Amino acid sequence: MGYGWLTYFYNLDALLMPYLSLLIFIPVITALVALLIPARHTRVFPWLTIGVNTIQIILFVLMLFHFQADGGLQLVEKHAWISLSLNNWGQLQAEYLVAVDGLSFSLVGLSVAIMLIATISSWHISKSRKGYFALLLILNGAIIGSFCALDFLLFYVFFEFMLLPMFFLIGIWGGPKREYASIKFFLYTLLGSIFILIVMIGLYLSVQSPENSNEVVHTFNVLHMQNLENFIPGSWFDAASSGSWRLWAFALLFIGFAIKLPAVPFHTWLPDAHVEAPTAISVVLAALLLKIGGYGILRFVYPVFPDGAVYFSDWVAGIGVVSIIYGALNALASKDLKRLIAYSSVSHMGFVLLGIASATTEGIAGAVYQMVSHGIISAMLFLIAGVLYDRTHDRLIENYSGLASQMKHYTAFVLIAFFASLGLPGFSGFIGEVLIFFGAFQSQSLNNLVPMWMPIVATLGLLLGAAYYLWTIQRMFFGPFAIRANFAELNDLTTREYAMLLPLAIMALLFGILPQILLDYINPFAESFTSTWFSLGINANP
Amino acid sequence: MSNAITILLITLLIPVVSAGIAFSVKEKYGWLIPIVSSLLLLAAAIAVLFPLFGNTQLTEQYSLPWLSIGNTSVSIGILATPITRLMAAVVLFVSAMVHIFSIGYMANEKNTDRYFGFLGLFTFAMLGLVYSTNLLITFCFWELVGFCSYRLIAHTQQKPAATQAATKAFLLTKVGDVGFLIGLLILWTQNGTLELAYITSTSGVWSTIAGLCIFIGVVGKSAQFPLFNWLPDAMQGPTPVSALIHAATMVAAGIFMLVQLVPVFTPHTLWVMTAVGIVSALMGAAGAWLVTDIKKILAYSTISQLGFMILALGLGETTGAFTHLLHHAFFKAGLFLAAGSVIHAMHQATHQTEVDVQDIRHLGGLRKQMPVTFIGFAICAAALAGIPLTSGYLSKELILTAVHQKNIWWLELSVWIIVFATPLYILRLFWFAFLKPATHVLTVNEAPWIMRLPVILLAIGSITFLFQQGHLSSFATQILQTEIAVPTSIVIISLAVTAASLLTAWLSRNLSTSSTEFLIQNFLDSINLYLIRFTTFAGSLTTTFDKKWIDRSIHTLAYGKVMLAHVAGWADRNMVDGTVHGVTWMSRGLGGLTRSVANGKIQSYLLWAMAGLLIFIIWMLY
Repeated sequence: MGYGWLTYFYNLDALLMPYLSLLIFIPVITALVALLIPARHTRVFPWLTIGVNTIQIILFVLMLFHFQADGGLQLVEKHAWISLSLNNWGQLQAEYLVAVDGLSFSLVGLSVAIMLIATISSWHISKSRKGYFALLLILNGAIIGSFCALDFLLFYVFFEFMLLPMFFLIGIWGGPKREYASIKFFLYTLLGSIFILIVMIGLYLSVQSPENSNEVVHTFNVLHMQNLENFIPGSWFDAASSGSWRLWAFALLFIGFAIKLPAVPFHTWLPDAHVEAPTAISVVLAALLLKIGGYGILRFVYPVFPDGAVYFSDWVAGIGVVSIIYGALNALASKDLKRLIAYSSVSHMGFVLLGIASATTEGIAGAVYQMVSHGIISAMLFLIAGVLYDRTHDRLIENYSGLASQMKHYTAFVLIAFFASLGLPGFSGFIGEVLIFFGAFQSQSLNNLVPMWMPIVATLGLLLGAAYYLWTIQRMFFGPFAIRANFAELNDLTTREYAMLLPLAIMALLFGILPQILLDYINPFAESFTSTWFSLGINANP
Repeated sequence: MSNAITILLITLLIPVVSAGIAFSVKEKYGWLIPIVSSLLLLAAAIAVLFPLFGNTQLTEQYSLPWLSIGNTSVSIGILATPITRLMAAVVLFVSAMVHIFSIGYMANEKNTDRYFGFLGLFTFAMLGLVYSTNLLITFCFWELVGFCSYRLIAHTQQKPAATQAATKAFLLTKVGDVGFLIGLLILWTQNGTLELAYITSTSGVWSTIAGLCIFIGVVGKSAQFPLFNWLPDAMQGPTPVSALIHAATMVAAGIFMLVQLVPVFTPHTLWVMTAVGIVSALMGAAGAWLVTDIKKILAYSTISQLGFMILALGLGETTGAFTHLLHHAFFKAGLFLAAGSVIHAMHQATHQTEVDVQDIRHLGGLRKQMPVTFIGFAICAAALAGIPLTSGYLSKELILTAVHQKNIWWLELSVWIIVFATPLYILRLFWFAFLKPATHVLTVNEAPWIMRLPVILLAIGSITFLFQQGHLSSFATQILQTEIAVPTSIVIISLAVTAASLLTAWLSRNLSTSSTEFLIQNFLDSINLYLIRFTTFAGSLTTTFDKKWIDRSIHTLAYGKVMLAHVAGWADRNMVDGTVHGVTWMSRGLGGLTRSVANGKIQSYLLWAMAGLLIFIIWMLY
């Protein structure tokens, strides 16, 4: 793609900046600045946050011009971070290493867009705005950092940094059962973090940096971890000698990220966290935090332990299929609108696992596409739940009927979001799901990782998805108007709500009608992912 | 892109533009939309067909890459063959008729913007399906067709029956769609492509499975046994919408797809299709004879007619099935619009009272009160019954010939039963609605001309052309240059059966069934209900599992941790702290000792220092 005409206006090279660091640290620094502003200036904080969001979007647009879709990892920033000599334990080396490829680039793009919408959605937060927006900014930086970090320790720091703001954002600004939900969220994710930590330490002890050949330098660099030659012979996770250690490591790391995804049976934190979280936080949680799970599996679990991935492929796909069906059934039985949407997230993220398990180009690309698409659509869904909750402070489905006649525009957006989520062609969800199915169906003949019956069973999820959404529309929006809640006024959408929902709807539609504009970024990643896999010479179990 | 393709692309976009205008124009100018869009649609229909008059072999394809990844590439494009052009023209024409009719029918209704908007999208989706060059794109439009029908059936959103019918329609067709998707994916793993031009017939178990799965999609969409029970319920939607669904869009999609795919199906798949077709045709006819709701009779008649087409497709008779689809589009749309006129007129006559104007037992004597509608209905009904000089007769003969050539007695027998049953129910409807002396004393006015016109145009389309020399032919058979070489025996038997059927129908004309319900539908409905109950039960089970088992174990874990924390706290207080306290106590004691030692007396310092040194030296020596 040529952007030659752009050079008429400015020299692109002059605009080379440490984009990723700026994206990560501008919100963090702004959060610190915000802490210095007296809390009584309540109007400043949202504007400050939205300013940061705007800068991030501008930076991302500039990045678009620099980013080569098929250029692998790029915009690399590498600095020495920790370098310690630990006598017998060798040299400890952790770097500040950030870079993006097609996978992280699309997720970073999603993040900056969703964070802006989350800020707009937080506009009417009244309880200690200073703390709220400062935490939101820290969360922002940590999320983007997690997507960009290629040093495992650095990733881990960002990963942990996400949990803390999230814990407080749910625990302080949440609904009636917020303490329970936030502690549950924290404990679950902490468990996942511990698993990840264990494997990370093991990896650190097993991997040496190929950059220094004369002495053993342990490294957290993920790219080194992905190469089996860098494992110290005889170490824990050395492929030649480790026995079952590598499989254990795969399982632990996988569970660590599966909790985040969330996959059944590690999912029960999600509905509670969602139901109690304020709207904006639900949006961030569903649209971005869950993606860290899928991202982690694609970036860390599978490339570092391909042998484990092959060994456990049935399990991964099986967990995916179970999540799809189980999540959908739970959504069907949900009485609370937000809980329904939360369980639908479980169902849709199950597709991501199915796509990853197939380890085909289509499956991997589908998984990434599904993550981006789910980010957009789930954000819409939670905003929709928020619109209603703002007006009536009631989310029980049975308390509503015939809303379509009162809130025409709102109903239009609900229909768009619901049908986009249930995979109507023309919306991005369909592309993701269909690509995943393409991958999963050909897996049996291509690499024998996923048996054909699994995606066939998974299609049941599509049917259940249609069922719970249509039933919800039927109960809440159709029929004669009736409402069983105390409410002041049941107005249609405000301009602010329009400003949040419309861009998301357009994005879902755009990525549904012209899938190639996103696939151009994802494809090179998916292709290199599968080709490295095959080059490792690891074949499926006979 | 050639001119022909450009024209087709424009015809594809016209309904979208119409929908866009409908959604954006203020309600005050709402009346403009259907007029403009129906004229545009008519022009489009002519533009699509016109080139075929000069060259009936016209085939062109144009496609652009839409999605490509790994081994998969999907292109989006326009396929222009005589078949797609004919189908598109019929879709556009029927849609135009429905638009015109709706001007009158929806005159006093609210939310016409939404109505005409989705009508446009519906037409667009169907056209996209027809023009599609790739099965995945076909599937996309296939789903869109389902969505638009969902919105249109549920047009009166406050009416629970209508919205339930819409949900039911969407979910039952979705069952088929999921089957269709599985079929597509298996076909893709077999063929490596979904381009219509490159799909070849393969044999083997997987090919049969793929074909059967795709056929499940058709069963859902075209309302065949056992997924048909959404169609009679879908009559809750506005009548013009029913006309569109039954004639040109929704249910026609399944048949049209099969017309294109039958050549690649395996014999096993085709036999299943024949069997399903026969069952649906017979059952639909029975249902149409049993129920008393005017729209439901027509709905069951559609099921029966579509079954008839699928039967033909199962025998490999694509031309017969396709021409019948086109003819059916005309006369069924005509029947529905005429029925719509009747309902509309009766509603106005009864002043919206509680009388069920759709029940044929409450109708009667409309021949004199609505003469134009009467004539239109009569012609369309004759075409449905397969009476000579109508289009329905022509395509029926084609299918009968194909059946006869197979020379299988049970096949032939069941087809004759279908031929016998069709006039039976339509004459009954015709008698009750139009001929029978009225039981009421209402003054029913003929529908306004804007509603009469489409009925008449559709009726004209259902008549065979008389100007052709040598033999009679319909528009479709003429374009497709079908040689109607029907054996004389078939013609004679067919005429005899039809005559016998009409006679039977006339003799039993006043026979009214006491039950207005169709048991097979109730049976299927209850199966659906059990499935729904089972699913909700499974849902409640998983919810319980979440709460009882997963959460409880998490809680146990958390309580365990808290317990551990308490133990640790106790240990901290009593053991660690105790130790610390002990140490403090000891050090205090020692401190006291040292304090007494360090009492500031230099001599004693010296003394202690000497002693210390002494001890040190002694220790060093040993």
